[in-house]
Amino acid sequence: MDRAAPSDVDALVEHLFRHSAGQMVSRLARWLGSARLDLAEEAVQDALVRALETWPFGGVPAEPRGWLFQVARHRALDLIRRDTALRGKLDILERATPEADVREQPLGDDELAMMFMCCHPSLPHAGRIALTLKTVGGFGVGEIAAAFLAEPDAIAQRLVRAKRQIREEEIAIDIPHPAELGARLDSVLDVLYLLFNEGYAAHGGENLVRGDLCGEAIRLAGLLARNPATDVPAVHALLALMLLQSSRLPARVDDAGDLLLLSEQDRARWDRELIAEGMEHLERASSGNEVTPYHVEAAIAAAHAAAPDEASTDWALIVRLYDDLLALKPSPVVALNRAIARAMAEGPDAGIAAIERIETDPALARYYLLPAALGGLWLKRGDPVRAARHYHEALTRPCSAPERRFLEKQLARCGSR
Amino acid sequence: MAKFLVLARGTEQRYANRSPQEMQQVMQKYMAWTAGLREAGRMLHGEKLRADGRVVRGAAGKMTVTDGPFAESKEVLGGFWLLEAKSYEEVQAFVKDNPHLEVGSLEIRQIDDMG
Repeated sequence: MDRAAPSDVDALVEHLFRHSAGQMVSRLARWLGSARLDLAEEAVQDALVRALETWPFGGVPAEPRGWLFQVARHRALDLIRRDTALRGKLDILERATPEADVREQPLGDDELAMMFMCCHPSLPHAGRIALTLKTVGGFGVGEIAAAFLAEPDAIAQRLVRAKRQIREEEIAIDIPHPAELGARLDSVLDVLYLLFNEGYAAHGGENLVRGDLCGEAIRLAGLLARNPATDVPAVHALLALMLLQSSRLPARVDDAGDLLLLSEQDRARWDRELIAEGMEHLERASSGNEVTPYHVEAAIAAAHAAAPDEASTDWALIVRLYDDLLALKPSPVVALNRAIARAMAEGPDAGIAAIERIETDPALARYYLLPAALGGLWLKRGDPVRAARHYHEALTRPCSAPERRFLEKQLARCGSR
Repeated sequence: MAKFLVLARGTEQRYANRSPQEMQQVMQKYMAWTAGLREAGRMLHGEKLRADGRVVRGAAGKMTVTDGPFAESKEVLGGFWLLEAKSYEEVQAFVKDNPHLEVGSLEIRQIDDMG
């Protein structure tokens, strides 16, 4: 067997197993039909186990992906031979050459088709997310559970139910026809947006899996952007948004893993490459007349990225963009962000007044960022006593460990004045 | 310098329920381990062994062949590495971060060079 030279060991790139798993499950399941998704997953799992039992002794093969594909395909053949109802599928697997396994997939077509299946609008929301992470992302049940702070059993149940529905409704693994592409793509983008936000919200180093969600959402959006069938403005807008937001991740926490405010961040640590890439996609997103919420959110992120510091940020522009966003996507969270932007543009009083108008919205009753924002504005206003009251309120609402530490730090600031 | 055989024993299916990412993490530990020894010129060879096998017993005429004893044994011999080292102690130091130890045992045998 051809073995990789020692220096090529680095070629065992980060996430090779996870990404290969997604590609292989997608390819095999597309061949076998969505009803056999479990079989495809089993074959791929076996191939990875086999790699883990073999490579440590013999070394990494020269073509690790090709090796994995070949073993997974053989394993699928074995499983199929045992199942008489599946004999008809033997042919297609036997004809596939190892070379074709790797090369026939220049544009990630299979993963794309799988994404459309996982995000099918007839599946429940939570099922779409879990299924996308499991089959396309190659995440394990335990990792998905950790990312969404759920019990592994609950995630496993969600997956079982979603797969049953796919079998019963015969949802195909296909890229939809142009006529229905728009609506189906909306559903895919919605799932990617949720994945990203879930990862971004808690990217504090406390939970590494959640950080992976951002990377995975960007990777999958990149697949959409590169495929001619899905190379549309909304895809580029979402990708731009995620890249621009990600550019701030390295600066969002200090060395101790504590969250930093936008004003405290060392902007030299913002990732310039991601910003450039994000700007490029924002440019491509502007090629049509369509304006989606992703466009506006990306434009807001771009306005931050373009400013050398908080003071020179064009806050008036950001307030206008939030107006646009509210018109496209009326939501109390957007209204809260707009209020914070107004505080920056016009002073804390304007921000406090704007927040007080939405304070009693039931959708924000458990949202810690509302009292946290009020706390920050009262601090600026020079009233640490009122600020402390709001920070105390924020601490009674659900938040992650780094967020909690941030609130406690702010609270300490109130006392020291 | 002497040659040492490091035999890796463990149960089958020890990775069956891990996620791809978890498996990759184990793999990366192995890669770091083998790469380190290879760069130092101490890794001579390594092979994975199949789970099946044959056991041959009896002198000519009475020879019997059975399937490997591995089937009943909980610990199978999964593979081996051939290393170069100064002493058992040095090999022990080499293997202390071999990830196989998380799932099984390692047996170290010095090659008797009859010197």
